[in-house]
Amino acid sequence: MDQKSAGLKVTFFFCQQIDEHQDVNRRALEKEFGSEIRFFPLPCSGRIEPQHLMRALESGADKVYVITCPEGACRYREGNMRARKRLTFAQGLIEEIGLERERLELINLPAGTITTIDKLARELLAREALVGPSSLQAQALEGKKLGVA
Amino acid sequence: MITAERKPLSEIKEMIAPYRKILIVGCGSCVAECASGGEKEVGILASLLRMDARKEERDIEVKEITLDRQCVYEFIDQLTDLIDKYDAVLSLGCGAGVQAVAEVFSQAIVVPALNTTFIGETKEAGLWVENCRACGDCKLGYFAAVCPVTRCSKGLFNGPCGGSKDGKCEVDPDTSCAWQLIVERLDKRGQLDLLEKVYPPADWSRQQGKGPRKIKREDQTI
Repeated sequence: MDQKSAGLKVTFFFCQQIDEHQDVNRRALEKEFGSEIRFFPLPCSGRIEPQHLMRALESGADKVYVITCPEGACRYREGNMRARKRLTFAQGLIEEIGLERERLELINLPAGTITTIDKLARELLAREALVGPSSLQAQALEGKKLGVA
Repeated sequence: MITAERKPLSEIKEMIAPYRKILIVGCGSCVAECASGGEKEVGILASLLRMDARKEERDIEVKEITLDRQCVYEFIDQLTDLIDKYDAVLSLGCGAGVQAVAEVFSQAIVVPALNTTFIGETKEAGLWVENCRACGDCKLGYFAAVCPVTRCSKGLFNGPCGGSKDGKCEVDPDTSCAWQLIVERLDKRGQLDLLEKVYPPADWSRQQGKGPRKIKREDQTI
Protein backbone atom coordinates (compact mmCIF):
# COMPACT_ATOMS: atom_id res chain seq x y z
CA MET A 1 0.00 0.00 0.00
CA ASP A 2 1.38 3.43 -0.88
CA GLN A 3 1.72 6.14 1.70
CA LYS A 4 -1.17 8.17 0.35
CA SER A 5 -3.56 5.20 0.55
CA ALA A 6 -2.23 4.34 4.00
CA GLY A 7 -3.44 7.76 5.11
CA LEU A 8 -0.07 8.82 6.45
CA LYS A 9 0.62 12.38 7.42
CA VAL A 10 3.91 13.21 5.76
CA THR A 11 6.30 16.07 6.42
CA PHE A 12 8.98 17.09 3.95
CA PHE A 13 12.01 19.09 4.99
CA PHE A 14 13.93 19.87 1.87
CA CYS A 15 16.89 21.82 0.59
CA GLN A 16 15.36 24.56 -1.52
CA GLN A 17 18.34 24.49 -3.84
CA ILE A 18 16.87 21.38 -5.48
CA ASP A 19 13.99 23.39 -6.96
CA GLU A 20 14.37 27.11 -7.43
CA HIS A 21 10.60 27.47 -7.95
CA GLN A 22 9.66 25.34 -4.94
CA ASP A 23 7.51 28.11 -3.55
CA VAL A 24 5.12 27.88 -6.51
CA ASN A 25 5.56 24.21 -7.30
CA ARG A 26 4.44 22.90 -3.93
CA ARG A 27 1.23 24.94 -3.74
CA ALA A 28 -0.94 22.66 -5.88
CA LEU A 29 0.14 19.67 -3.83
CA GLU A 30 -0.54 21.47 -0.57
CA LYS A 31 -4.06 22.31 -1.76
CA GLU A 32 -4.67 18.75 -2.92
CA PHE A 33 -3.51 17.05 0.28
CA GLY A 34 -4.38 19.73 2.83
CA SER A 35 -3.09 18.96 6.30
CA GLU A 36 -1.93 15.48 5.28
CA ILE A 37 1.36 16.88 4.05
CA ARG A 38 3.60 19.71 5.16
CA PHE A 39 6.57 21.26 3.44
CA PHE A 40 9.45 22.99 5.16
CA PRO A 41 11.95 24.50 2.72
CA LEU A 42 15.42 24.91 4.15
CA PRO A 43 18.12 27.23 2.81
CA CYS A 44 20.37 24.17 3.11
CA SER A 45 19.60 20.70 4.43
CA GLY A 46 22.45 21.27 6.90
CA ARG A 47 20.06 23.59 8.75
CA ILE A 48 18.01 20.62 9.96
CA GLU A 49 18.28 19.85 13.66
CA PRO A 50 17.06 16.79 15.57
CA GLN A 51 14.71 19.13 17.40
CA HIS A 52 12.90 19.95 14.12
CA LEU A 53 12.38 16.26 13.47
CA MET A 54 11.08 15.67 17.00
CA ARG A 55 8.66 18.56 16.70
CA ALA A 56 7.40 17.26 13.35
CA LEU A 57 6.63 13.84 14.82
CA GLU A 58 5.17 15.35 17.95
CA SER A 59 2.87 17.61 15.97
CA GLY A 60 1.35 14.75 14.02
CA ALA A 61 3.62 13.52 11.24
CA ASP A 62 3.64 9.76 10.68
CA LYS A 63 6.59 9.99 8.33
CA VAL A 64 9.24 12.67 7.93
CA TYR A 65 11.50 13.03 4.91
CA VAL A 66 14.62 15.14 4.78
CA ILE A 67 15.47 15.71 1.12
CA THR A 68 18.97 16.84 0.36
CA CYS A 69 20.84 17.82 -2.77
CA PRO A 70 23.29 15.20 -4.13
CA GLU A 71 26.38 14.53 -2.04
CA GLY A 72 29.22 16.65 -3.33
CA ALA A 73 26.79 19.18 -4.77
CA CYS A 74 25.92 21.12 -1.62
CA ARG A 75 26.18 24.84 -2.25
CA TYR A 76 27.55 25.19 1.27
CA ARG A 77 29.88 22.20 0.83
CA GLU A 78 28.85 19.83 3.62
CA GLY A 79 25.25 20.61 4.48
CA ASN A 80 23.79 17.35 3.21
CA MET A 81 26.40 15.33 5.09
CA ARG A 82 25.42 17.10 8.30
CA ALA A 83 21.76 16.44 7.58
CA ARG A 84 22.53 12.72 7.35
CA LYS A 85 24.35 12.68 10.70
CA ARG A 86 21.59 14.60 12.46
CA LEU A 87 18.87 12.41 11.04
CA THR A 88 20.76 9.31 12.20
CA PHE A 89 21.04 10.85 15.67
CA ALA A 90 17.32 11.62 15.71
CA GLN A 91 16.52 8.04 14.66
CA GLY A 92 18.34 6.87 17.79
CA LEU A 93 16.29 9.27 19.89
CA ILE A 94 12.91 8.07 18.66
CA GLU A 95 13.94 4.46 19.12
CA GLU A 96 14.35 5.26 22.81
CA ILE A 97 10.59 5.79 23.01
CA GLY A 98 9.78 2.81 20.82
CA LEU A 99 9.11 4.58 17.53
CA GLU A 100 10.46 2.97 14.36
CA ARG A 101 13.55 4.64 12.93
CA GLU A 102 11.96 4.35 9.47
CA ARG A 103 9.65 7.20 10.43
CA LEU A 104 12.58 9.46 9.67
CA GLU A 105 14.13 9.02 6.24
CA LEU A 106 16.85 10.84 4.35
CA ILE A 107 16.47 11.21 0.61
CA ASN A 108 19.81 12.06 -0.88
CA LEU A 109 19.09 12.92 -4.52
CA PRO A 110 21.31 11.17 -7.07
CA ALA A 111 23.90 13.33 -8.80
CA GLY A 112 22.58 15.21 -11.80
CA THR A 113 18.94 15.04 -10.68
CA ILE A 114 16.81 17.83 -12.08
CA THR A 115 13.37 17.75 -10.53
CA THR A 116 10.72 19.81 -8.83
CA ILE A 117 9.58 19.42 -5.26
CA ASP A 118 6.00 18.51 -6.22
CA LYS A 119 7.17 15.76 -8.57
CA LEU A 120 9.56 14.45 -5.97
CA ALA A 121 6.95 14.53 -3.22
CA ARG A 122 4.46 12.64 -5.39
CA GLU A 123 7.09 9.98 -6.09
CA LEU A 124 7.78 9.59 -2.39
CA LEU A 125 4.08 9.45 -1.51
CA ALA A 126 3.64 6.71 -4.10
CA ARG A 127 6.27 4.57 -2.39
CA GLU A 128 5.20 1.63 -0.32
CA ALA A 129 4.45 2.63 3.24
CA LEU A 130 7.16 1.13 5.47
CA VAL A 131 5.37 2.36 8.58
CA GLY A 132 1.71 2.74 9.44
CA PRO A 133 0.02 5.65 11.15
CA SER A 134 2.06 6.58 14.18
CA SER A 135 1.10 4.99 17.46
CA LEU A 136 1.29 8.52 18.86
CA GLN A 137 -1.68 9.59 16.78
CA ALA A 138 -3.54 6.37 17.50
CA GLN A 139 -3.13 6.90 21.23
CA ALA A 140 -4.14 10.53 20.92
CA LEU A 141 -7.33 9.55 19.06
CA GLU A 142 -8.04 6.78 21.54
CA GLY A 143 -7.45 9.24 24.35
CA LYS A 144 -9.96 11.65 22.87
CA LYS A 145 -12.52 8.87 22.59
CA LEU A 146 -11.90 7.97 26.21
CA GLY A 147 -11.91 11.59 27.21
CA VAL A 148 -8.46 11.49 28.76
CA ALA A 149 -6.63 13.68 26.24
CA MET B 1 34.00 23.98 30.37
CA ILE B 2 32.09 21.37 32.32
CA THR B 3 30.91 18.57 30.05
CA ALA B 4 28.00 16.23 30.51
CA GLU B 5 25.98 13.59 28.70
CA ARG B 6 22.28 12.93 28.85
CA LYS B 7 21.18 10.00 30.97
CA PRO B 8 19.33 7.16 29.25
CA LEU B 9 15.67 8.05 28.84
CA SER B 10 14.66 5.00 30.89
CA GLU B 11 16.54 6.38 33.92
CA ILE B 12 15.02 9.84 33.49
CA LYS B 13 11.53 8.34 33.16
CA GLU B 14 11.98 6.36 36.34
CA MET B 15 12.95 9.48 38.30
CA ILE B 16 10.02 11.57 37.08
CA ALA B 17 7.47 8.74 37.06
CA PRO B 18 5.58 9.93 40.18
CA TYR B 19 5.08 13.41 38.74
CA ARG B 20 2.72 14.78 36.11
CA LYS B 21 3.82 18.38 35.67
CA ILE B 22 7.48 18.59 34.75
CA LEU B 23 9.59 21.71 34.39
CA ILE B 24 12.66 21.03 32.25
CA VAL B 25 15.40 23.53 33.06
CA GLY B 26 18.35 23.82 30.69
CA CYS B 27 21.56 25.78 31.08
CA GLY B 28 22.94 28.05 28.36
CA SER B 29 26.57 27.83 29.45
CA CYS B 30 28.93 24.82 29.51
CA VAL B 31 26.38 22.08 28.86
CA ALA B 32 24.96 24.05 25.93
CA GLU B 33 28.44 24.21 24.41
CA CYS B 34 28.81 20.44 24.72
CA ALA B 35 25.32 19.94 23.24
CA SER B 36 23.84 18.16 26.24
CA GLY B 37 21.84 20.71 28.21
CA GLY B 38 21.15 23.83 26.15
CA GLU B 39 17.93 25.11 24.67
CA LYS B 40 17.97 22.61 21.79
CA GLU B 41 18.50 19.66 24.10
CA VAL B 42 15.74 20.88 26.39
CA GLY B 43 13.42 20.97 23.37
CA ILE B 44 14.40 17.48 22.28
CA LEU B 45 13.93 15.97 25.73
CA ALA B 46 10.59 17.72 26.19
CA SER B 47 9.36 16.36 22.85
CA LEU B 48 10.56 12.86 23.69
CA LEU B 49 8.86 12.87 27.09
CA ARG B 50 5.59 14.20 25.68
CA MET B 51 5.58 11.66 22.83
CA ASP B 52 6.49 8.85 25.19
CA ALA B 53 3.67 9.76 27.56
CA ARG B 54 1.22 9.90 24.67
CA LYS B 55 2.32 6.44 23.54
CA GLU B 56 1.80 5.06 27.01
CA GLU B 57 -1.47 6.94 27.46
CA ARG B 58 -0.11 8.87 30.38
CA ASP B 59 -1.09 12.43 31.10
CA ILE B 60 1.94 14.70 31.35
CA GLU B 61 2.64 18.41 31.12
CA VAL B 62 6.12 19.53 30.21
CA LYS B 63 7.34 23.11 30.27
CA GLU B 64 10.71 24.16 28.86
CA ILE B 65 13.00 26.91 30.09
CA THR B 66 16.72 27.51 29.66
CA LEU B 67 18.63 29.74 32.05
CA ASP B 68 21.79 31.52 30.94
CA ARG B 69 23.56 29.91 33.90
CA GLN B 70 22.02 27.38 36.21
CA CYS B 71 24.67 27.74 38.93
CA VAL B 72 24.20 31.44 39.66
CA TYR B 73 21.39 32.78 41.84
CA GLU B 74 20.63 35.81 39.66
CA PHE B 75 19.69 33.47 36.80
CA ILE B 76 18.02 30.80 38.93
CA ASP B 77 15.74 33.53 40.24
CA GLN B 78 13.91 33.41 36.88
CA LEU B 79 12.25 30.22 38.16
CA THR B 80 10.70 31.95 41.16
CA ASP B 81 7.18 32.42 39.80
CA LEU B 82 7.29 29.22 37.81
CA ILE B 83 8.64 26.42 39.93
CA ASP B 84 5.66 26.12 42.29
CA LYS B 85 3.40 25.33 39.37
CA TYR B 86 5.25 22.09 38.65
CA ASP B 87 5.53 18.80 40.48
CA ALA B 88 9.20 18.30 39.64
CA VAL B 89 12.16 20.01 38.00
CA LEU B 90 14.16 17.99 35.50
CA SER B 91 17.49 19.76 35.32
CA LEU B 92 19.66 19.70 32.23
CA GLY B 93 22.39 21.54 34.09
CA CYS B 94 25.63 20.07 35.38
CA GLY B 95 25.76 18.71 38.92
CA ALA B 96 26.47 22.21 40.21
CA GLY B 97 23.39 23.57 38.46
CA VAL B 98 21.11 20.83 39.78
CA GLN B 99 22.28 21.45 43.33
CA ALA B 100 22.09 25.22 43.03
CA VAL B 101 18.46 25.08 41.90
CA ALA B 102 17.61 22.63 44.70
CA GLU B 103 19.36 24.89 47.20
CA VAL B 104 17.39 27.97 46.17
CA PHE B 105 14.07 26.11 46.04
CA SER B 106 14.49 23.68 48.90
CA GLN B 107 10.87 22.46 48.70
CA ALA B 108 11.13 21.56 45.02
CA ILE B 109 11.85 18.08 43.70
CA VAL B 110 14.90 18.55 41.46
CA VAL B 111 16.32 15.61 39.52
CA PRO B 112 19.23 15.45 37.08
CA ALA B 113 18.83 14.54 33.42
CA LEU B 114 22.58 14.63 32.78
CA ASN B 115 25.62 12.77 33.96
CA THR B 116 28.25 15.43 34.59
CA THR B 117 31.44 14.08 33.13
CA PHE B 118 34.59 16.22 33.14
CA ILE B 119 36.25 19.60 32.64
CA GLY B 120 37.44 19.78 29.09
CA GLU B 121 37.78 21.63 25.85
CA THR B 122 35.93 21.52 22.56
CA LYS B 123 38.62 19.86 20.48
CA GLU B 124 36.64 19.99 17.26
CA ALA B 125 32.98 20.05 16.30
CA GLY B 126 31.36 17.17 18.16
CA LEU B 127 34.46 16.19 20.14
CA TRP B 128 35.10 17.17 23.76
CA VAL B 129 38.23 16.07 25.57
CA GLU B 130 39.09 16.11 29.26
CA ASN B 131 42.09 18.30 30.05
CA CYS B 132 41.72 19.47 33.65
CA ARG B 133 41.10 17.64 36.94
CA ALA B 134 40.57 20.84 38.92
CA CYS B 135 43.31 19.67 41.29
CA GLY B 136 43.69 23.12 42.82
CA ASP B 137 47.48 23.21 42.40
CA CYS B 138 48.09 23.90 38.72
CA LYS B 139 51.48 22.94 37.31
CA LEU B 140 50.79 23.79 33.68
CA GLY B 141 53.50 26.46 33.78
CA TYR B 142 56.14 23.76 34.18
CA PHE B 143 54.79 21.46 31.51
CA ALA B 144 54.23 23.66 28.45
CA ALA B 145 50.52 23.93 29.25
CA VAL B 146 49.89 20.19 28.95
CA CYS B 147 48.50 18.70 32.14
CA PRO B 148 50.30 15.41 32.88
CA VAL B 149 47.86 14.51 35.65
CA THR B 150 44.87 14.67 33.34
CA ARG B 151 46.21 13.94 29.90
CA CYS B 152 48.71 11.21 30.72
CA SER B 153 46.62 8.05 31.06
CA LYS B 154 48.80 7.04 34.00
CA GLY B 155 48.71 10.51 35.56
CA LEU B 156 52.50 10.65 35.74
CA PHE B 157 54.19 13.79 37.03
CA ASN B 158 57.56 12.26 36.21
CA GLY B 159 57.04 10.87 32.74
CA PRO B 160 57.31 9.68 30.13
CA CYS B 161 56.66 6.06 31.02
CA GLY B 162 58.35 4.74 27.86
CA GLY B 163 55.29 2.87 26.68
CA SER B 164 54.13 5.22 23.96
CA LYS B 165 54.36 4.36 20.27
CA ASP B 166 54.43 6.89 17.44
CA GLY B 167 53.38 9.55 19.90
CA LYS B 168 50.32 7.61 21.02
CA CYS B 169 49.56 6.26 24.48
CA GLU B 170 49.87 2.52 25.09
CA VAL B 171 46.75 2.62 27.24
CA ASP B 172 44.66 4.20 24.50
CA PRO B 173 46.12 4.45 20.98
CA ASP B 174 43.60 7.22 20.18
CA THR B 175 45.19 9.44 22.81
CA SER B 176 48.37 11.41 22.24
CA CYS B 177 51.12 10.74 24.75
CA ALA B 178 50.95 13.77 27.05
CA TRP B 179 54.64 13.50 27.84
CA GLN B 180 55.64 13.45 24.21
CA LEU B 181 53.58 16.62 23.75
CA ILE B 182 55.26 18.19 26.78
CA VAL B 183 58.79 17.38 25.65
CA GLU B 184 58.20 18.40 22.04
CA ARG B 185 56.57 21.68 22.99
CA LEU B 186 59.24 22.57 25.55
CA ASP B 187 61.93 21.69 23.00
CA LYS B 188 60.31 23.97 20.42
CA ARG B 189 60.24 26.79 22.96
CA GLY B 190 63.79 26.19 24.08
CA GLN B 191 62.54 25.42 27.59
CA LEU B 192 63.65 21.81 28.04
CA ASP B 193 65.63 22.93 31.07
CA LEU B 194 62.31 23.21 32.92
CA LEU B 195 62.29 19.42 33.09
CA GLU B 196 65.64 19.44 34.90
CA LYS B 197 64.28 21.43 37.81
CA VAL B 198 63.14 19.82 41.01
CA TYR B 199 59.71 20.99 42.15
CA PRO B 200 57.98 20.53 45.47
CA PRO B 201 55.36 17.78 45.45
CA ALA B 202 51.84 18.74 44.45
CA ASP B 203 49.55 19.74 47.28
CA TRP B 204 46.80 17.14 46.85
CA SER B 205 44.98 18.47 49.87
CA ARG B 206 43.80 21.25 47.59
CA GLN B 207 41.84 18.67 45.61
CA GLN B 208 40.44 16.35 48.21
CA GLY B 209 40.38 15.38 51.85
CA LYS B 210 38.90 18.56 53.27
CA GLY B 211 35.32 18.31 52.06
CA PRO B 212 33.79 20.61 49.47
CA ARG B 213 36.26 23.25 48.38
CA LYS B 214 35.45 26.93 48.67
CA ILE B 215 36.84 30.11 47.19
CA LYS B 216 36.09 33.23 49.16
CA ARG B 217 37.05 36.74 48.07
CA GLU B 218 36.15 39.69 50.18
CA ASP B 219 36.40 42.10 47.25
CA GLN B 220 33.62 40.20 45.50
CA THR B 221 31.25 40.11 48.43
CA ILE B 222 28.44 42.62 48.88
